[in-house]
Amino acid sequence: MIEPIRLAFDVDCPADHAFDVWTGRISAWWPADHTVSGEADVAVVLEPRPGGRIFERTPAGIEHDWGEIVTWEPPSRFVYLWHLRRDRADATEVEIRFIERGDETTRVEIEHRGWEALGADGEAWRDRNNGGWATLLPHFVAAAAGGRPATTRSP
Amino acid sequence: MAGSTPARDPFDALGDPNRRAIVELLAGGDRSVQQLADALPISRPAVSRHLRLLKEAGLVVEEPRGTRRIYRLHDEGVAAVRGYLERVWGDAAARFRLIAENTTPEQ
Repeated sequence: MIEPIRLAFDVDCPADHAFDVWTGRISAWWPADHTVSGEADVAVVLEPRPGGRIFERTPAGIEHDWGEIVTWEPPSRFVYLWHLRRDRADATEVEIRFIERGDETTRVEIEHRGWEALGADGEAWRDRNNGGWATLLPHFVAAAAGGRPATTRSP
Repeated sequence: MAGSTPARDPFDALGDPNRRAIVELLAGGDRSVQQLADALPISRPAVSRHLRLLKEAGLVVEEPRGTRRIYRLHDEGVAAVRGYLERVWGDAAARFRLIAENTTPEQ
């Protein structure tokens, strides 16, 4: 089994502002080296509605789809399918929750799930190991093609 | 990630398009060096070199089958990939906090 990736942290601002920055100003903070193209001035666009696209647009105007919004509940949470390839069967699911804690503080919870049991239509997915690879690989390959992670440095 | 640390960073190992192509082929099923070379525009010795690197990174394993050596994806390689994505989210979260805490709502 592959557990979901879970991450939670507090941010010193109200939930509605946190939600707006996350969704409306994602270009300002999403790490540029974690995009498909890896280009420096890439714009990340999140269309704020159910069914909305999430995509990056290079300075040359080339768009790469990241996924699609499936749940849109501002300012408390939204969910999207993350599929860096064209095939929706490869999608994993990301949920971002914003929980107001009072004192102008918001807890942000990230859950990135669905590493297996996706694409249930194909027999090729039955093998757990290959299925795990098949869902993970598009993300990793796209990221590897786009650039190195900022946290990794050569000695 | 559980188990021993690979000798080579899996992320570095996947920095080469031929090695990514090999991993993608192996995701579709186990293959011999010759089968990989047949499917790629590179020579058999080049495929062997790339496979050695992927092995050092813990992404593929080889096993003898009859007179041939068969390569397949290493189960723990998935954990390495997941670890990489955890770092991506960690980076993203840190940058998000910086922006959210230093901006005011736009009117």
